[in-house]
Amino acid sequence: MINPEMNKLVEVLLEGGHAAALSEARRLRTAGMASERIVTEGLEAAMQRLDDKCTVESFNLLEIMLVGRAVSAVVNELYPEGVPPEQGRDTFVIATLEGDVHDLGKNITKMVLIGKGYRVVDLGKDCPVEALVNAAEREHAHAVLVSGLITPVIPQVRKVRSALVERGLGGIRVVAGGAALKQSSAEALNVDYVAETAFDGARYLDSLVVHKAEGAA
Amino acid sequence: MNSLERIKAAISFAPVDRTPAVPQLFGHAAALASVALGDYLRDGGLLARCQIEALEHYGHDVVFAFMDLCVETEAVGSILRYRDNQYPDVASYVLAPSSSVSALAVPDPTVAGRMPELLRAAGILRRELDDTVLVAGCVAGPMTLTTQLLGIETALYLAADDPVRFEKILDFSASVAIRYGTAQIEAGVHLPIVFDPSASPAVVPPQFFRELLLPRLQRVFASFRQAGALANWLNIAGPTETTLPYYPEAGADIANFDYYVEPQRAQQLLPHICLDGNLKSLLFVEASPDEVTAAASRLVAAFADRGGFLLSSGCEIPPEAKPENIAAMVAACRGG
Repeated sequence: MINPEMNKLVEVLLEGGHAAALSEARRLRTAGMASERIVTEGLEAAMQRLDDKCTVESFNLLEIMLVGRAVSAVVNELYPEGVPPEQGRDTFVIATLEGDVHDLGKNITKMVLIGKGYRVVDLGKDCPVEALVNAAEREHAHAVLVSGLITPVIPQVRKVRSALVERGLGGIRVVAGGAALKQSSAEALNVDYVAETAFDGARYLDSLVVHKAEGAA
Repeated sequence: MNSLERIKAAISFAPVDRTPAVPQLFGHAAALASVALGDYLRDGGLLARCQIEALEHYGHDVVFAFMDLCVETEAVGSILRYRDNQYPDVASYVLAPSSSVSALAVPDPTVAGRMPELLRAAGILRRELDDTVLVAGCVAGPMTLTTQLLGIETALYLAADDPVRFEKILDFSASVAIRYGTAQIEAGVHLPIVFDPSASPAVVPPQFFRELLLPRLQRVFASFRQAGALANWLNIAGPTETTLPYYPEAGADIANFDYYVEPQRAQQLLPHICLDGNLKSLLFVEASPDEVTAAASRLVAAFADRGGFLLSSGCEIPPEAKPENIAAMVAACRGG
């Protein structure tokens, strides 16, 4: 159920209207609404609607990019210095690994996760495994996400878990996605989960957060 | 039947002595010959030699005069980054978000970038193989070239923000495909395949395909037919179930389908169009020959009654694929 105050924001976000979304977010802020509420009740609600709409059969980058651009514009307006760790639901480190320079899938995933209120540290493309592990340690990441469009990157993906374990970070989950990687399996890639789409990956990460919260309770 | 006769028969749903084997072997031909991919992609003579060696090694039914999907954008003016054993990518796109496409000229394939080398490869392949094996050329489809001129994110945002300008770029891209594909036909290919991965429903919705891309594909295929193409072949990977029904309207005679679409579904959607597909590309890297044989045999059996089928992968077979897996696929066509 969407908070009625957020109806307009959710509507323009889903239309991909980044200028209109920005304008509406500013109006809500001026009216005294806290940034955190705009994220949790506005952006996350819009991303949930998009998630419901984007099944594996009807998932296209254009629609998600337009919504993602609008969401990112609002997040940048609310948090010009980036989402502070204490306000992000959890931190994830994301990269396209060394040997692959295609980063659209990674960028889409990042936008989806930001829209769901997570803090995402983006290491870009052609990223060495060591840099990924360094960032995971430095940022206290709860999971690392790797995207791959082409098959030659698979050997790099297989190295991620052991590199994390060697650094004493074996508790960090590893999630893979992208056209090449999703043809494989979690077992073959030595990761915890292979996401079919950005939303599928986000749902898996949501489930980790829920489990963690239940464990802490 | 020789390979060309076999493929012609499959296209027209006539009886074949066996299912044609059409593995999408591009850079793998270089790997098989222990040639650096970067050299293969820039030397038409080397490309032709590697394709013929791969044909002799596997005994399949097609050779490809194809380098990569950056040839056209490079010829228009983008700067590529080459690596030894990877396909190149675009380091600097020729079109900035604010620049006008009218400043660009459709490249002359006899002089622009690597196009002349590709035409040389086409000529060699046709001369060497005469009319025994299908010589397939390849062009980037209008949507894919548009994304390669601007960068995919910029292109998609432009489609939403300034559709008039976006359509002008699509028209330019279609003109590039027509001129390059026509030159390939003149150089010796039997047909230029239109590769348009960015037109996949994974990237743009079906309505976008129908309204913006279909008219451009129609233009491209009509031109190829007029130039003497043996048939029109549209290759779009990904979950194409929602767009396959438009392929006949586009003018396609052969439709590639990827592993996302079940063979029975593809047959329902395109009862009168020759289909090629749909083995998973990664199968050729990670599976065993027995697994490839099983998957390929299932596909051959699924089309046994219908005909109109070329056994292929849904997308490119990666350069690092295991040769024994490709051999297993070809053997499955022979009932082995």
